[in-house]
Amino acid sequence: MIFFIIRRLFMTVFLLLVVSLVTFAIFFLVPRLAGQTAYQLAAQYVGKNPIPSEIKTVETKLGLNAPIWLQYGRYIKGIILGTHYNAGPDVSYCPFPCFGYSFRNQQPVWPQLISDAPVTISLAIGAGVLWLIGGVAIGVLSALRKGSFFDRFSMGMALAGVSLPIFFTGLLALTLFSYKWQIFPNVHFVSFTANPVQWAKNLVLPWIVLAFQYAALYARITRAGMLETMGEDYIRTARAKGLPERRVIVKHGLRSTLTPIVTIFGMDLGLLLGGAILTETVFSMQGLGYFTFLAIQNQDLPEIMGVVLLASFFIIIANLVVDILYTIIDPRVRI
Amino acid sequence: MKRRGTIATATAAALAALVVTACSSGGTSSTTGTGSSGNNTSANFFNKGLTQVMNPSTHKGGTVTYESHAAPDSFDGGNTYYAWVLNFSRLYEMAMFTYKSCPGQCGLTLVPRLATDMGTASADGKTWTFHIQSGVKYENGSTVTASDVKYAIERTYDRSVMANGPTYYQAILTDPTYPGPYKDKSPNKMGLTAIDVPNATTLVFHLQAAFPDLPYVLAFPSTAPVPPASDTGANYQLHPLATGPYKFQTYQLNKQLTLVPNTAWSASTDPQAKQLASKIVMNLNVNQANVDNLLLTNQAQVDAAGVGVGPAAQAKIETNSTYKANAVNPINGFARFVYIDTKVAPFTNLHCREAVEYAANKTTLQDAWGGPIAGGQIASTVNPPNIIGFSKFDLYNALSQPNGDVSDAKTQLQQCGQPNGFSTTMGYRNDNPQETAAATALQASLQQVGIKLTLKGFAGGTYYTSFCGDPAYVHSHSLGLCAGGWGADWPDGYGFLDELSNGNAIASTGNTNIEELNDSVINNLFAKANTETGAARTAIWAQVDHQIMADAGILPEVYQKSLIYVPTSATNVFVQTYYGMLDYLAIGASSGS
Repeated sequence: MIFFIIRRLFMTVFLLLVVSLVTFAIFFLVPRLAGQTAYQLAAQYVGKNPIPSEIKTVETKLGLNAPIWLQYGRYIKGIILGTHYNAGPDVSYCPFPCFGYSFRNQQPVWPQLISDAPVTISLAIGAGVLWLIGGVAIGVLSALRKGSFFDRFSMGMALAGVSLPIFFTGLLALTLFSYKWQIFPNVHFVSFTANPVQWAKNLVLPWIVLAFQYAALYARITRAGMLETMGEDYIRTARAKGLPERRVIVKHGLRSTLTPIVTIFGMDLGLLLGGAILTETVFSMQGLGYFTFLAIQNQDLPEIMGVVLLASFFIIIANLVVDILYTIIDPRVRI
Repeated sequence: MKRRGTIATATAAALAALVVTACSSGGTSSTTGTGSSGNNTSANFFNKGLTQVMNPSTHKGGTVTYESHAAPDSFDGGNTYYAWVLNFSRLYEMAMFTYKSCPGQCGLTLVPRLATDMGTASADGKTWTFHIQSGVKYENGSTVTASDVKYAIERTYDRSVMANGPTYYQAILTDPTYPGPYKDKSPNKMGLTAIDVPNATTLVFHLQAAFPDLPYVLAFPSTAPVPPASDTGANYQLHPLATGPYKFQTYQLNKQLTLVPNTAWSASTDPQAKQLASKIVMNLNVNQANVDNLLLTNQAQVDAAGVGVGPAAQAKIETNSTYKANAVNPINGFARFVYIDTKVAPFTNLHCREAVEYAANKTTLQDAWGGPIAGGQIASTVNPPNIIGFSKFDLYNALSQPNGDVSDAKTQLQQCGQPNGFSTTMGYRNDNPQETAAATALQASLQQVGIKLTLKGFAGGTYYTSFCGDPAYVHSHSLGLCAGGWGADWPDGYGFLDELSNGNAIASTGNTNIEELNDSVINNLFAKANTETGAARTAIWAQVDHQIMADAGILPEVYQKSLIYVPTSATNVFVQTYYGMLDYLAIGASSGS
């Protein structure tokens, strides 16, 4: 197990390098190939009506006039060894991991990512717990009551959850619960350490909206898996041996169904930790998703690189955790 | 099948009921009658805030919450150019001058703030002397000196650190090549020779040429004092040292700013400002729809961006008399144009340009920009009405025939030798939906007289630096027309018209005289304006405006307007006419906030 984890961690570093190279190419190289010059790019980070010498100054400050390969090399070197930055009256040192400085507001990227990460982590984990428990529970009950009113209603709601986009359900939730009835007024992120109660209260709506979309898929997969598993011979044997029904369902039925659930959960959570762009935008919660949206909108290249690398890291680690969990859920699996 | 159909129908009915309930709106009780504070809101009517104070109150305390759909370019007064930040920064920074805090046209009046008076110019206009008030203190109790004002101006010279703000000092003052204090080797970093500081309260400015509008330039927050020892360069935006009625308490970059009263501030030194609220919270990067709903439900007091509500809220306000009574619709100082390039054929001929002026359907252009309330007022002049020196005239029947004067357009086409029309290309920003709609509307209206317009869209970020603002590109790609807009840096004719129409403003990149007008009549009027003051100077702006229109270099579309909603929980609210948005120096909170 230890060697497996070490091997995967080395792979993680390699994968992140590949991701950084591809991202750099997409946002730095491709526009150049399409004809954009360093001068044109620098012009976006200067105020109104700039004169050419001002744009050149910014171009030099941001290092945009260096060859692309050199810009990439400096960026990777900065992440590992840190970098110095001229902030005006003195030179700042940005230690490892230094994801550079924002082109737009000249602030280091890493602290901004750290500042936004709790929002996304709170959103993703909270919604993840809800959709996992809710989706699996509904799937199990639907399978056990196949053809009943509950089964049909819950699968109908599951269909709605999958079909209705978040910018509809989110806005509807806000309109009703935040603006009209003011049960959850002024929804904005409050740090857990500042006020745990308000933190939870302000996240209820985004959690439910996000979980509603994901729970649907989990309910349907669980239901299908349970229907298949509960018809197996060993389930009949377990019942014949006199085991309590709850034990038959949970220990023998559900456990076999969990493997694909865990796989999907790991992927979904990993992706969400990289930023739930739509949910964060609808609820104006500034997590990594909203950060990504603004970075792309502003063409702030260091911010784009930073958030993409962080999101990739989350996805890779999530998959590692999923692989480890397999060995616990299914003793037949060896790594 | 029957059971499934029943369930599906019930589900659909439930969802529909929820949607209808959500969409129906009768306004909330807090928008009518007396607000929660007891301040009188029942006397509000649509546009009251243009000329009177809405929700007047002397209540001190409470929290004023600002919501903004975007982040500032910087909260550092020396590094910002956004109109709302110029307005908002007055809460924590005292610049040399400011605009009078009052509703109506008096809001265009420049008054001293840190300065003691409007300054004294030498006989040749090239030397200006200003005095600052003694006894003004920073939030830490130290006293503001004239050197701090000089240092604040010096900071703006280093564009590698301060890239955002205006660059008038380099163009107006002597010593334009000063590198900025971070590269300044002189003692105390006071190396800018264009400004002398003979004593702690006096500044002497040396200009390259006479420039009567210098006090307007000194109204920018770049003159808010900065003590050199406290300057942290690019990080100063995180906590500028306050001289205004409020100071930074906390600032999470691009997320939330909290201001609290600055105990070192004295109202006697700053009569334009008020210190009513006990806290000001600014939430940044909030979805515009959320901003609007927070205002409509009194959960916030101000939309900081000041450009008005979004389309959904606009519809609610316009159709609900209660909401509308608490709304105000100012001209925001920004005007939308189409530049007609005088150097691109066939627009080298005046009559071809005039054909475009006559043929344009102003009504469809106005609709493209959002209609008469949220879009703007049909324009017939380059200067908008909130510019000192505005004079109303209508050379091309934009007001009398807003759907276009096809007959006169065709007459002009005859005179320019193109009786059947001609083809040309128009540049516009394709990431601006309204500008795209306006370009399409113009294309349709010009088609009626045989002018075939090919539309060419460009990204907004490089539009002025690389495309329509690059004369070489314009000529090589025959862009006869370019969409654009303009807002004055200060509210007189020079501030609005110089960059748009002075022959010496034509630049090789970032060009603002996009129509490339180099009319000696106009150029001479600008030169004359630099030697005049008062009413004689003001009268020149109408002449300039008239000549630009006579040259048909610019097709005015609309004077833009904003539909701003004023929650009843906001007190002392009125439109500051220069900024074209609410006056942030005056706003307080009702006792329930």
